[in-house]
Amino acid sequence: MSMLPEWMRETDNYVPPKDGGTFAIKTIQTIGKIMSRLKTQAGHEKQKHLPALVKLFAMILLIVLTSVCQNRIILMVIAAAVLGYLCTWPAKGLWGILKTPMAASALTLLLFIPAMLMHPAGITNNLIVVAKVFLCVTMVTVFNHTTQWNHITLALRKIHVPGIFVFTLDITLKYIVLLGNLMQDLLTSMQLRAVGKHNRKYSSVGGVMGVTFIRGTEMNEQMYEAMRCRGFTDDYKGL
Amino acid sequence: MNMKLIELDNITFRYEKEEPAVLKDFSLAVAEGSCVIIEGDNGSGKTTLFRILTGLSFPEKGEYSFDGTNITREYMKDNANSKKFHKKIGYLFQSPDVMLFNPRVYDEIAFGPRQMGLSDQDVEARVADCLEMFNLRDLADKAPYHLSGGQKKRVALAAVLALNPDVMILDEPYAGLDKKTQEWLTQILIELKASGKTIIVATHSGELLSEAADEIIVMK
Repeated sequence: MSMLPEWMRETDNYVPPKDGGTFAIKTIQTIGKIMSRLKTQAGHEKQKHLPALVKLFAMILLIVLTSVCQNRIILMVIAAAVLGYLCTWPAKGLWGILKTPMAASALTLLLFIPAMLMHPAGITNNLIVVAKVFLCVTMVTVFNHTTQWNHITLALRKIHVPGIFVFTLDITLKYIVLLGNLMQDLLTSMQLRAVGKHNRKYSSVGGVMGVTFIRGTEMNEQMYEAMRCRGFTDDYKGL
Repeated sequence: MNMKLIELDNITFRYEKEEPAVLKDFSLAVAEGSCVIIEGDNGSGKTTLFRILTGLSFPEKGEYSFDGTNITREYMKDNANSKKFHKKIGYLFQSPDVMLFNPRVYDEIAFGPRQMGLSDQDVEARVADCLEMFNLRDLADKAPYHLSGGQKKRVALAAVLALNPDVMILDEPYAGLDKKTQEWLTQILIELKASGKTIIVATHSGELLSEAADEIIVMK
């Protein structure tokens, strides 16, 4: 006797109705893609000869110096050094570095526009702040692009940042990638089966978010147990 | 001889421009109502091939034709085309975890039929048939993410079959199933083939389905 029900033996004569409104799905897919992009951090290290700790110190020092500096000459020297360093980057990778600082400085400029209009005498100082924002964010982006996450967390551990903080940061960064991929796969599978008018899009999207959260919790617990089984004693030294 | 339903003509695919091609000058022709087994080592491109066949990825070179229609990025951008195509092709992911996003097993299976505009009675009948067929009646009200690996796989397969697709693409359907369930699944696939469905299966357990296979392709 056959196990297949009658309808499964026949071919459906199905024409999908029109269904717009893919906003929620596209938005979450974009989030998933952004999270997945974090995985490119692995193997992205270009300046291997400089230890992450040195780079971390240099970055913090330069950011503090740039922020508190009131002497324009020193500021210009820092700017020249940063821009000179960027000149050594291949043109292809420059946009990846510069788009974040450019967005941050554009936002700062936007916030300063009312002040500039009301107080034109302070325009120079306002522009210096914009330049400082650009330099500081560029330094962070360069550090981010030239140092792997695990080296960053290791460097943080060496400067005695509490283990639990480093552990949480490290695991979060690693799991964002995995959960981003999971979310993308769930949405893809949802789209493959969304063959008609989907009246409960937001409920399904909520389901995807919920499953991602549950899976994240499960993975977290399983990994912690696996670490304990391999001798982890809550004293995190980095991976 | 049945007409070719799926035709891949010399396709080349790579995920990143700088990376080596996962599929290079690959061709495949699958006749309507046939059963094709795809074998190959891990990383040989089976899942990538399936992503292309299901219209999730597109080759940089070569052509993919389904039922006489060229499946391109532009074609799939049209929502109506994409839905029509996905109604015809059912895809079982390698990991069932990425297929289950509804609060209950019942809703998971009913997800597809509900969207097809079927009446509540028809949806209920389809879901009941699938629950019966996959021996999931007792789990109907359970949350899919709390099930075991084998149960999840059965729910995922039931959810795909509830759409009654013409083509079933199954990525490692036997993985994680016990021997009895593997044999039961083989029986289901043989019956699906006998009812005219086209079946493409990637598996390391090809011997289980070898009697139903029209072609075995080994990817390198």
